[in-house]
Amino acid sequence: MTKHRLPRELLPLTPPVFHILLALAEEERHGYGIMQDVSRQTDGALQLGPGTLYGCLKRMLAAQLVEESDERPDPALDDERRRYYRMTALGKRIVRAEAQRLAGAVTVAMARLAGESA
Amino acid sequence: MTSESNPMGGFCRLYSVLLYAYPPEFRRQYGRSMEQLLRDRCRDLARRPGGLTLLRFAGQVMADWLRTTVRERAAAIWSAGRKPAKRSSVTEWAGTFLIYLFATTTLVQAYVIPTGSMEGNLLIGDHILVDRMVFADPGPWGRHILPYRQVERGDIVAFLYPEDLRQTYVKRIIGLPGDRIRLHNGQVVRNGRRLVEPYVQHIAIQPDPYRDDFPLAPEALTTPRGRDMLQHHVRNGEVIVPAGMLFALGDNRDNSADSRYWGFVPREYVVGKPLLVYWSYDAPTAELQELTLDHVIDVAEHFLTRTRWKRSFLVPRSQPAEEVGGAR
Repeated sequence: MTKHRLPRELLPLTPPVFHILLALAEEERHGYGIMQDVSRQTDGALQLGPGTLYGCLKRMLAAQLVEESDERPDPALDDERRRYYRMTALGKRIVRAEAQRLAGAVTVAMARLAGESA
Repeated sequence: MTSESNPMGGFCRLYSVLLYAYPPEFRRQYGRSMEQLLRDRCRDLARRPGGLTLLRFAGQVMADWLRTTVRERAAAIWSAGRKPAKRSSVTEWAGTFLIYLFATTTLVQAYVIPTGSMEGNLLIGDHILVDRMVFADPGPWGRHILPYRQVERGDIVAFLYPEDLRQTYVKRIIGLPGDRIRLHNGQVVRNGRRLVEPYVQHIAIQPDPYRDDFPLAPEALTTPRGRDMLQHHVRNGEVIVPAGMLFALGDNRDNSADSRYWGFVPREYVVGKPLLVYWSYDAPTAELQELTLDHVIDVAEHFLTRTRWKRSFLVPRSQPAEEVGGAR
């Protein structure tokens, strides 16, 4: 469906997708790992429910922003096998582009609102 | 598996059932992972103090479930639209609908308080959700899965009115099987001990010997079931609650049609326990019992002013009465 889309057409990313990509920026994680990291990134403001998380992952897999790594236990939790996800090269490009877009928006916002809060 | 150490085990198992509301394809792909994520999260939350966190998490998960089942269903239909297999999506929606129906009819039931008999705790026009699971014995197998407990003295309980099963009443349970009940000057004496009931409200100025000194004085207002109770279950001036029955009184003790007048509540007529008030609307009794066009217009016009906002999400509490020894 989204195979031939240029990165720009996928922007802007929804907040869950953006934060899931950020969670996978440094290392591959399993579902619960992503959920915890997103919560940390946003100071608890964004709590992904299971349906939201796996719904997003499904769409991100289809858009080839992430890919499944393998199934293995998480040494920190228990010996149950968990499916790990990692970011693709396309995912990295997209999240970078989104970060730039947001940075641009923040710059504009700072410039326009600077006088008000002071 | 470590689900034994998880106090939310019942919730996790319930969630496994709720997963059937997702499209089969989605469930096959991610169902197992979603269950595991829920288990992991519950285990982590349980390590922290505070039951409220768990409750809030359960609420978030249910909201997430409602939103994403609809979204995934729509997505499944969208992609099915390009393939010939279209009929299956109808049956899939029917599946989701059935699960919603199961959730709303089996787990909770919405109900309006039509009379002032529990006034002080529940007002006329309180729209409440009744937890249907808590008193419904799910059998030896289900007892470990579902939250279940016995009815206790002091519980506020919703039950079918024994004289007319189309009506649901909400009262407080005063007597369990074997309990000896009488009233003395308007105060309950249970098994020879006077009850101090902080939740009770007395409004009458005129004494009424039957109402206040039950079951001594003769009373004309009783129903056939009430008369049967007085004939067969009174000994030494006390009513003795038989096996499989409950004795229920309204908190608005002087203005309540309760077990004093229509007899015992059979245990199997208990529907559940009021969970919370989700909307409280100030309207006359008759309007609440039947949904008429006038009532709908009335609500539309006065929704903001006649809604008792402060009562929203109020939780009616079970409260055991204090027993004081030596009633005369």
